[in-house]
Amino acid sequence: MNRSNFWIRVGIVGILVVTAAVLGQIRRWQSKPVPNIEVVQTGAQKPKTLARSVQDAEPEILVRFKPGVKLADIKKIAARNNDRVEDKFEYIKGWVTIDDLDGADMESVARQYEAMTSLVEYVSTNDVIRLEEPVPVPSTRDLVHRERDSNIPNDPQFAEQWALSNIGQDGGKAGADLSALKAWAKTKGTKEVVVAVLDTGVDYTHVDLAANMWSRPDNVPQYQDEELGTFNDIRGFNANVNESDPMDENGHGTHCSGIVGAEGNNSEGIAGINWNVEIMPLKFLGRGGFGSTKDAIEAINYAIDRKQKGVNVRVISASWGSTQNSKALEDAIRAAGEQGILFVAAAGNSSTNNDSRPHYPSNYDLPNVISVAALDRTDSLASFSNFGVKTVHVAAPGREIVSTWLNDQYREASGTSMATPYVSGVAALILAGEPNISVEKLRERILRSVDKIDSLGGKIASGGRLNAAKALGN
Amino acid sequence: MGFTQESAVERAKQDLAGRLNISESDIRESSVAKVDFPDMSLGAPASGEMSAQMISTGWRINLNANGEDYEYRADKYQLRLKGPNGSNHVIVS
Repeated sequence: MNRSNFWIRVGIVGILVVTAAVLGQIRRWQSKPVPNIEVVQTGAQKPKTLARSVQDAEPEILVRFKPGVKLADIKKIAARNNDRVEDKFEYIKGWVTIDDLDGADMESVARQYEAMTSLVEYVSTNDVIRLEEPVPVPSTRDLVHRERDSNIPNDPQFAEQWALSNIGQDGGKAGADLSALKAWAKTKGTKEVVVAVLDTGVDYTHVDLAANMWSRPDNVPQYQDEELGTFNDIRGFNANVNESDPMDENGHGTHCSGIVGAEGNNSEGIAGINWNVEIMPLKFLGRGGFGSTKDAIEAINYAIDRKQKGVNVRVISASWGSTQNSKALEDAIRAAGEQGILFVAAAGNSSTNNDSRPHYPSNYDLPNVISVAALDRTDSLASFSNFGVKTVHVAAPGREIVSTWLNDQYREASGTSMATPYVSGVAALILAGEPNISVEKLRERILRSVDKIDSLGGKIASGGRLNAAKALGN
Repeated sequence: MGFTQESAVERAKQDLAGRLNISESDIRESSVAKVDFPDMSLGAPASGEMSAQMISTGWRINLNANGEDYEYRADKYQLRLKGPNGSNHVIVS
């Protein structure tokens, strides 16, 4: 029997049970031994039915006879089959319960009555009655929602995270999101993957981030730089002032980190696109949110060193840039790619075409670089976002994005800065399931799994919005 | 330290007076407006500088001295002089 028919039958049986109870039948049933009663599993799985004892006098099938078939005739039919009419539901016309007396199994008895097509309208095996508690009768809609619900985190501000689940809130366009709920059905990330957030540092004490912060494992030696010295890099690295502590003084890096991996389903704040991940803070932007190219290179160098020492840094998230080109920075990013590190970069916020007015590092034509534009909650390119059909690769939500901020706070912010960590985060999700995927294939997977958006055609290379579920193969 | 709009304007006047070797009283405040800048360099990156690509609120301060216009940009952390031909200067950070 197909699933929809099954639930229809369950519903009918439920109604019958209630009616029977009203009529005082329940007491009679309960007074009998009830060995091997059915096991009903609620949810998406089909209920299992255990065979009942033939000594059990419970009604075994429910039969609805056609109008005009009298009870006396039904009893005769039952007798011919060596059955008996166990009960007739006075208020549900046509339905009787048939009790088999010769030990035949329910399905056989049901088939006997189903064959009487001139007399019988419907037959239902009596296989899901459970008296101890009500049997929920989920609709298909309920089942769909239940499946989705299991992936909705309990983070109180999740409803504001239109990028992860856009149901049209605050004037948004339903479905203009990353399909995070569907992606989370497959993976919610893993702490085996390290995402380096190259930024203003991270407030690693933030209540929604602390559990997902990287710390240097005991088997990885302290960072040693020939010129700068040795750093006890327990929490990452600060290239801005060349010290170990990457604490954020600005908030920007903390915001980006929350997008990548605020702890999910912890009843706090928001959920990251990864519920579980390791975020390595690499600070090179100072309190004002700006810094030198040299310090960026220094921090990338640190990430490469840690990778070589066994830390699984696979993504650098770079929500920053400038129109100023630097061959040294390009070479540093290339070197990271040679170590299997994806470099995800913001396309910039000047509303300009990067094909004609380059923005760096997003414009470096390297096999490990992804340049990211920003979308608003209606699937439109954000008014500030740079674009470029040759040089900007993918778009992601970047306007009115709520995320973590300094001192356990949360704040809404906009920019290609916010779009970038979504791409970095999806890369981490892919890596959770495919840890050995090459950086080139990782990049290709992200760019080929987008949701095409008409308005992005001719604007960015992939012509689409990042889709986490599709990137995971869902 | 953190700038307010007033303190940023005051500091911008001081800077311009020093650069032009004139009195602050010779500088006219053309306009001051609260503005969303495209990034954390307030859309005025200095040489060799990278900045966070987040829309950032600050003030655009237009001053006039000796018949010339000068544009400063500020937020709570910094003050910049937006120079012609992209030669921007970080005054305070």
